Amino acid sequence: MFKLIKATFLGLIAMAFTASSYADITFVSWGGAYTNSQQKAYVDTWSKGSGVTVENYNGGLGEIKAQVEAGNVTWDVVDVLPDQAITGCDEGLFAKVDQSSFLDDLVVAPVSDCVVPQIFWAYTAFYSKSAFPGKKPKNIKDFFNVKKFPGKRGIHTWANALIEMALVADGVKASKVYEVMSTPEGIDRAFAKLDTIKDHVVFWSAGSKPLELVSSGEVVMSLAYNGRIGAAILSEGKDFEYIWDATVLEQEYLVAIKGGNEKEALEFMAHASTAQALADQAKYIPYGPMRKSSIDIIKKGEPWFIKEGGNIDILPHMPTHPKVLKRAVIADPVWWADNGAEVSERFGAWKGN
Amino acid sequence: MNETTTGSILTTEGVPLKVSLQKAEKRNKIRAILLVAPLLVFILVTFLIPIGDMLLRSVDDSYINTVFPKTFKEYKKWDRQDLPSEELYKTMFFEVKDSEGYAIGKASTRMNYAKSGWKSLLKKSKRKFKKIEEGPYKEQMIAIDKKWADMEYWKALGVMVDATTAGYYLNAVDLKYNVDKEIVRQKENRRIYNHTWIKTFKVSVLVMIFCLMLGYPISYLLSTLPLKYSNLLMICVLLPFWTSLLVRTVAWMVMLQQKGVFNNLLVMANVIADENRFKLMYNETATIIVMTQILLPFMVLPLYSVMKTISPNYMRAALNLGASPLHAFWKVYMPNSVPGISAGCMLVFILAIGYYITPELVGGKDGQMVGNWIAYHLKTTLNWGLSAALGAILLGVLTVLYWVYNKLVGIENIKLG
Repeated sequence: MFKLIKATFLGLIAMAFTASSYADITFVSWGGAYTNSQQKAYVDTWSKGSGVTVENYNGGLGEIKAQVEAGNVTWDVVDVLPDQAITGCDEGLFAKVDQSSFLDDLVVAPVSDCVVPQIFWAYTAFYSKSAFPGKKPKNIKDFFNVKKFPGKRGIHTWANALIEMALVADGVKASKVYEVMSTPEGIDRAFAKLDTIKDHVVFWSAGSKPLELVSSGEVVMSLAYNGRIGAAILSEGKDFEYIWDATVLEQEYLVAIKGGNEKEALEFMAHASTAQALADQAKYIPYGPMRKSSIDIIKKGEPWFIKEGGNIDILPHMPTHPKVLKRAVIADPVWWADNGAEVSERFGAWKGN
Repeated sequence: MNETTTGSILTTEGVPLKVSLQKAEKRNKIRAILLVAPLLVFILVTFLIPIGDMLLRSVDDSYINTVFPKTFKEYKKWDRQDLPSEELYKTMFFEVKDSEGYAIGKASTRMNYAKSGWKSLLKKSKRKFKKIEEGPYKEQMIAIDKKWADMEYWKALGVMVDATTAGYYLNAVDLKYNVDKEIVRQKENRRIYNHTWIKTFKVSVLVMIFCLMLGYPISYLLSTLPLKYSNLLMICVLLPFWTSLLVRTVAWMVMLQQKGVFNNLLVMANVIADENRFKLMYNETATIIVMTQILLPFMVLPLYSVMKTISPNYMRAALNLGASPLHAFWKVYMPNSVPGISAGCMLVFILAIGYYITPELVGGKDGQMVGNWIAYHLKTTLNWGLSAALGAILLGVLTVLYWVYNKLVGIENIKLG
């Protein structure tokens, strides 16, 4: 009897050790339809033995910096924006990654040594068809024209992309936007344009909010992440319409937090950035994969987007579609890493006064 | 008989009573200290140390000095009239080139607060300096990026050469050091904080007043109704108190937005026209309405517990003696309830002044408070020094208010029950 107890006990200890040799990881992303696409494309298919807990956040490096500085890292893999990817890598918050397996397959060069590729997404203006029974807004100038199209506008609470869009609406060519923004007069010009809609804006910070604002009629037009608009149109059958003009194309990356379960995190990231994984994500949300070979997989597989009662062609909904790209602003994360703090303060003053 | 007057009183063991008593008292004291020790340690670890850390961070500027010690030493010799000498360029060059790990990355974030553009300049330089083997360095650095020939960048270094800085505090009240380290006002289009401070106080005071106006009659009713009804009413007060803050905030969004329940009802009842719906959500009004509802229980509970102890006989006596009801209330009941009013107002005001999540969700562009800026700098710009300075000012203001209150009303007049 005693022997039996001892054996079970030792067995339990052994089990505990084998289980803990492969740690569970926490994967942090932005929630909603986006996290859902990640869950289905590569979290559910991850079978390396470690469990993956998915959490949501609203961006920013604050929590990550706090965890690293306190030596108590609970997040392992985080989905970040490019300017955060630059700052976090420079400040030593993220682990370095071996990028040799995908470097030649990328549409643009990665912004830092700490990232694996995810998707292109875009700040995109949209409206509900029912809000404009007659004339419909066609471009970003219409978004900034409250006389021609009366009603409130939904915009996000930070300055990124708003400056760019305001300048395009003021007549700057999409390709020249950052040239203009690098002069003080350029920023003045953008704020002057923003002033014209100031009394007609509603702010949002969570990605699902603009859809809600437009659905409920609280605003007539809003900016949003293109994938959220697409998912609402394609999966929920909402009567939204994109304004494919002056979309601001941004990148999205995965990083591993230094001091977390780095080994598992890096393996998970390799799994999450294969051409197949990125292509699979587009079955659930219309963001553009960063790997060329993912786009080839989708092209061959169209109709790719999964919907009950018949799949749908997804490429026309992507912000990287050539027709969209022609009129888009390609966001410059280096400009924002340099000038973000200053412009954000000014944007804060603009909001508050 | 003489013994008792000249010597001390002895216990049965022959020890002087005074000593024996002191011993017993000491033992009691130690026991008391042991009992509160866990709490003391808890407060120390979770409260005093973090606050101390915050205060340190709000003035600390030492990190950058560990990255550029030689450059800053050389920098102090610079006359600030023309571009620096080759010597200063050279020390800067080597300290950037030879720095290890993430030092430059972290330092450049700090330098970017002083002058936007340092970040990419250092990143680019660090990469390109590797190829430069010998001097003169000045020309080669300028060839890499002409920002190195811009006086503004060099002058901006001047505010960082000391290990402590008042810069974050200046920032928090819309002042700043200019490149010559004189205190000047922030550029007009970047002034945000004074405006936010005023707004924070305005909102907190208004919320406090509204809570008092709404809470006083409820508490009076609660304390005078028979138990059977007052219990039901108490549950009505407590039920929202127990409901999640987020749920209540989101419920208010549904109620108050332009196409929301409240406006729809008014339009249906033909009180207002469809195109003049009230703007009650995503502005300062929303912040005040929602915060008042959320903080109301903090006013009602202390008021109620104080009013419960006011004997109804006082009012009866006053009325019997010929006072009008209003006069009796003003002269007899109200003064008795002052401890509850004080406690309620203090609680609500202190909670309101640091509120963050509610203004964030319903405040829109003009309902944001200081707490939102603290969170913003913590999370997004990583300017923790500025966050710490804003927090320290908030703490300082509350301490001063507490002191004034203690002088005027007396802290012993507060009663929570």
